[in-house]
Amino acid sequence: MLSKSWGGVLALALLFGNGVTTLAADYPLRAHAAPDFALRAFNGDNVRLSEHRGEVVLLSFWSSRCSSCRGQLEALNRTFLTYRSAGLQVYGISVEGSEALARGFAHARHVAFPMLFDPEEQVSRSYEVDSLPMIVLVDRNGTIRDIQRDFTARDQALYLRELRGLLNE
Amino acid sequence: MRVQIQVPRPSGVRSARTRQAVICCAGALLALACGAALAQAPATSPAPAPQAQGAAASASTEAPSDSDTRALDEQTQALKKDVVDLNRDLYVLEEELLYPANTQVAVFLSVDVGNFFALDSVQLKIDQKEVANYLYTPREVDALLKGGVQRLYIGNLKTGPHEIVAFFTGKGPNARDYRRGATVKFDKSIGAHYLELKIDDRQHALQPEFEIKDWGE
Repeated sequence: MLSKSWGGVLALALLFGNGVTTLAADYPLRAHAAPDFALRAFNGDNVRLSEHRGEVVLLSFWSSRCSSCRGQLEALNRTFLTYRSAGLQVYGISVEGSEALARGFAHARHVAFPMLFDPEEQVSRSYEVDSLPMIVLVDRNGTIRDIQRDFTARDQALYLRELRGLLNE
Repeated sequence: MRVQIQVPRPSGVRSARTRQAVICCAGALLALACGAALAQAPATSPAPAPQAQGAAASASTEAPSDSDTRALDEQTQALKKDVVDLNRDLYVLEEELLYPANTQVAVFLSVDVGNFFALDSVQLKIDQKEVANYLYTPREVDALLKGGVQRLYIGNLKTGPHEIVAFFTGKGPNARDYRRGATVKFDKSIGAHYLELKIDDRQHALQPEFEIKDWGE
């Protein structure tokens, strides 16, 4: 009886403790090279992912019609300000058909990291984005290490742990 | 709230995947070789010190010496060099197979001075079909301004007359949005054909100049 209850506790601990890994398990690009892209940022500069080898890159796919994207982008801004000196680069990538909508949403967020516009949604296709919000973590070698779908406070703690691990590599 | 969206899966690029697979194989070979070298390392380390010197002394002698570590490092570096050489040879081979000299057409881009134009993107059309659309990052523009030449496009074309059109987008004089086109008609014969897109400054007009130079075969 005792062992059964401990088994249940262990199963729950594994389920909650490895939330990021569980979510990322069905992601086909995990442990593959991150597809390269070049996109225009709303601030005017162009960004190419391959120029960030040696840095940990966090890609956040968002849309103005996704309510939890707002909270996530604000949380990511705090993360970026904390860890950018350690080699973290964050990019918000719009999955939005309308540039005007995306631009308005991006400007209203007041985030310190560049917000990119993906006009033909080629990047979201190449990263197989199937839900929003979605975060993709790319390590210093340009390999996709983990992803996170949806956004909750618990998920944030999990990806921060993962992120610290990548920054320490 | 989690929004579900349907996005079709991308089609892979065969050549890139092939190269990636080759690099993976080479990496695996490198890892195997390193593993084998590490396995050999204790065997080549000097014999342990006599028991009388105590446990601490024997523990220190089990670790590989500096010369062994150096030899292992040299082996690793040699293997890395082999992998790089192999990758280069495969790249050349892939280019020869994918773009045979008989049908090959290559378009290069260079920037000279560039005081009146800040390059943002180039769209390239051959026979009214878009073959390249390239966005330039500030680092790439810097590299071009320092004399770098970019191979913008390489592909295959049959012999005969063709038309190439290039559209240059960026910031022109007084930081205004600027878009200009340049076109050239050329005859493709047997043998590789090279063209160069040149961005230059027209000092007397205080304007940028866009030119397509046909280097022929």
